[in-house]
Amino acid sequence: MDTNNNVYTVIYTAVVVVVVAAVLAFVASKLGPAQDANAKAETLRQMMSAAGIKPTDELYAMKNADILQLYADNIEEAYTIGLDGEKNGELSVSKDKIELVSKLKPQHKAILADGDATLPVYIFKEGIAVIPIYGAGLWGPVWGYIALCPDNYTIAGAFFDHESETPGLGAKIKDEAWFREKFTGKTVEWGEEPAFRLEKNVEATGATNAVDAITGATMTSKGLNEALNTWFKAYENHFGVGAFFNMLEEHADSETANDNEEE
Amino acid sequence: MAQKLKETILNPVLKGNPITVLVLGICSALAVTVQLKGALVMALSVIAVTGLSSLVCSLLRNTIPNRVRIIVQLVVVAMMVILVDQILKAGEGTYAIDKQLSVYIGLIITNCIVMGRIEAFALGNKPIPSLLDGLANGVGYGLILVIVAFFRELLGSGTLFGFQVLPAAYVPNNLVILPPFALILIGCIIWVHRALDKDLQEN
Repeated sequence: MDTNNNVYTVIYTAVVVVVVAAVLAFVASKLGPAQDANAKAETLRQMMSAAGIKPTDELYAMKNADILQLYADNIEEAYTIGLDGEKNGELSVSKDKIELVSKLKPQHKAILADGDATLPVYIFKEGIAVIPIYGAGLWGPVWGYIALCPDNYTIAGAFFDHESETPGLGAKIKDEAWFREKFTGKTVEWGEEPAFRLEKNVEATGATNAVDAITGATMTSKGLNEALNTWFKAYENHFGVGAFFNMLEEHADSETANDNEEE
Repeated sequence: MAQKLKETILNPVLKGNPITVLVLGICSALAVTVQLKGALVMALSVIAVTGLSSLVCSLLRNTIPNRVRIIVQLVVVAMMVILVDQILKAGEGTYAIDKQLSVYIGLIITNCIVMGRIEAFALGNKPIPSLLDGLANGVGYGLILVIVAFFRELLGSGTLFGFQVLPAAYVPNNLVILPPFALILIGCIIWVHRALDKDLQEN
């Protein structure tokens, strides 16, 4: 048979491509649930590491099923807010609904465009609120989770991750525990520009809303700084001073309402 | 026959090593050799891809239209790579390593060793020898990867497989972590290899 015939070539290529596509589609649909479960457990590990539920290496040593259980045991409330700081949706507290990292990218775009965002807030036991951050590092996206104490401005813990930062340099944001531990006890200055800083010589200045950037990883540090501030700005109306006054106002309103009732 | 099979298996690991002798597949050898664990998974992935791609292409060798053979090979290789990537992502234990290797698993498609072996061997040989040739070339590649990663992790982080082996007083060398050092190291391996094997020396 002449394998160099035009008709044969076209049909042959088409058949090969269709067969390969079928195999890949079949495998993807079979493995999809397992992959999603892995991605979800990974997100939960990072959030719970930030919230200080367990030490990071213990979380990474745990099986996926145990991680889901630990999350279910520790989460109190999960909801989404808009850029105005108002709640605009509930995230099911059950272990099934988690905002994966892949969902942070469109939210990041929404923040930058000042559009309709649904930003997740996870409230763990003892009132620890965990919020995500997302931005561009040197080679790819960087993201992370910041845990806030019940006072809404002291940082209880943090966890950062990245897709492809340089190992040994930018990758330290994830690999080196000392970097994320530096965030603990620092504060987010809601309403200030910038609300938080990654910069040089922080220890000398004693600033409470700043952390030393990583030497040799200028671009990753800059990207992370940008990510932190973009997302803190987006959450400002929810956690910041404005939110505090809104709460007072509501409180006053309800009190007057009560007074009226009494009369 | 047995002699020829032995040759097929041993040659890619020693005299015809894809990295040190043919100098193919260098890019990924520079990129994924920072840690041993990653290098090992990468090596196993490449072994699987080279072996299976060679096997499939050898099975198809008499039917592939000559004018589009590179395209057909590429489709087969791409399928194998995506399968490996999907499987790594689905395994509970391998998910973290797949994340760490990020794009480099996908880039196995462009690894010259895979296409090189299909073109040079699988299209002209029976399936079983082709499978062995593919596997052996993957092993030859993986061997160098693991050697390079051993030194880079030891000197660059003071650890092996993530366990601290050098005393805490050792200051990790940042140059070792960067890709240029891998190139220097591969250069050294080629030097040692050639010094030991007289057949590889040029006059």
